[in-house]
Amino acid sequence: MTPLDWDRHPPALTPGYFSSVTRSPRENLIPLNPTTAELTGPVFGAQHIGALDGDLLRNAAGPDELAIGPRIIVHGRVLDEAGRGVPDALLEIWQANAGGRYRHARDGYLAPLDPNFSGCGRVLTGEDGGYRFDTVMPGAYPFPNGPNAWRPAHIHFSVFGWAFAQRLVTQMYFEGDPMIRHCPIVATLPSAEAVDALTARYDPANDRPMDARAFRFDIVLRGRRTTPMEA
Amino acid sequence: MKQTPSQTAGPFLHIGMMPEGGTVPLVSPLPSGDPITLHGTIFDAESAPVTDALIEIWHPESGWARAPTDGQGSWRLATTRPPTAPFVSLWIIARGINTALQTRLYFPDADWPNDPAMAKIPRARRGTLVASQAAAGAYHLDIRLAGEAETVFFDLQGGDDQ
Repeated sequence: MTPLDWDRHPPALTPGYFSSVTRSPRENLIPLNPTTAELTGPVFGAQHIGALDGDLLRNAAGPDELAIGPRIIVHGRVLDEAGRGVPDALLEIWQANAGGRYRHARDGYLAPLDPNFSGCGRVLTGEDGGYRFDTVMPGAYPFPNGPNAWRPAHIHFSVFGWAFAQRLVTQMYFEGDPMIRHCPIVATLPSAEAVDALTARYDPANDRPMDARAFRFDIVLRGRRTTPMEA
Repeated sequence: MKQTPSQTAGPFLHIGMMPEGGTVPLVSPLPSGDPITLHGTIFDAESAPVTDALIEIWHPESGWARAPTDGQGSWRLATTRPPTAPFVSLWIIARGINTALQTRLYFPDADWPNDPAMAKIPRARRGTLVASQAAAGAYHLDIRLAGEAETVFFDLQGGDDQ
C-alpha cells in the first residue's frame, strides 16, 4: 500500500480551526507497515443501498413533494493513485439544506429545516468507479470559530475502498464559491493544490437540461504499490 | 494521481453515518467467533469527553462495526473475538480531527507484547492500546486524543504487504 501523502492531508494541530486544538495528538504518529488487518476491509453490496439512497431530492420527501433548493447532480469516479477505478466503493454523504441548516439536534442555525430534505445519501460505485447523487446545492452557514466564520457550501463524504487503511472522510466544495478562501477548515489543508482537489467542477456536459446542473468530483484513494511489471 | 485530501467529519456526521430511518442499517456479517463487547470513552487534551466522535472497528477475523460516542463521550460495540489475532483495528473521526486517527485495541489476555507493531512503540506508551477486561466477554479501552497518557496513533506507511 502507498503511504498517506502528508503533502495532501491536513496536519492534526491547526490552531486557526479552534476545534483541532484540544483534539489533536501531540505525539508523532507511529509509523507502521499495514498488515492483513488494514489491507482488508468490510465488503458492502447492493443490499445496503435503498432505491432512493442516492437521490436526496426525494429520499426524505413526502408523496409528490421534493426538497427545496437549486437542483444539482454530483458525480465522479473513485480511483486509486494509478488512475484505476475502484468498483463497489461505498460512499456516504451528508450536507446542510439549501438554507445552510442541518437536520441535526445540535444545529440551531436560524435557517429553517426543509421537511422534505434529510441531507443523507449513500451509493456504491459502479464497475468503473463511477458514482452519482441527485441533491440540492447546500447553503453556507456560520459556525463558532471566532467573531465571524462561515463554512462554504460543502458536502461531506465518507469513503470505503477495499482496505481499512484507505478509509477516508472529506468534504467537497463548489467551483467559484467566494467563501472557500475565508474558511478556517479549508485553511487546514497544506496547499492550494489540496484545496483544488476538493473543489468540484461545474460540468455542463452532464447537466440535465431544464432540470439540474452537474458538478464533477473525483476521489483518489491511496492504493496498491505499483509492481515493477506495471511500472 | 494524488490522494484526495482528508477534512474533518464535523459535528453532524450522524446524519450520513448513523442515519435514522429510511435507509438500510449498515452492517457487515460477523465471523462466527465468540461474541464480545468493546467499550470505552474518548477524551480530549483537557480530559473532557468527546461527545460527537465516531469509532469504527475492523479485523478480518472479527468483522466491522461502528458506533458514535454518546453524551458522556462513551462508545460501545458488539463484535466477535478474533480467534488468532491479538488486536482489532480502530478508526476515529470527530469535529476537530482533520485526518482520521488509526489505532488498535489489543486484548489483555492475548500475546500482545510480542506483536510486531509493539516493537515500534516506546515501551511506556504501549499500554495505551491494551484494553482491560471489564467482565466476561467485555473489554474496555479509553482513548485519549492528546495530553497525558495520549493514545498511540499510527501512520500506516505502506512498506511491504504482509
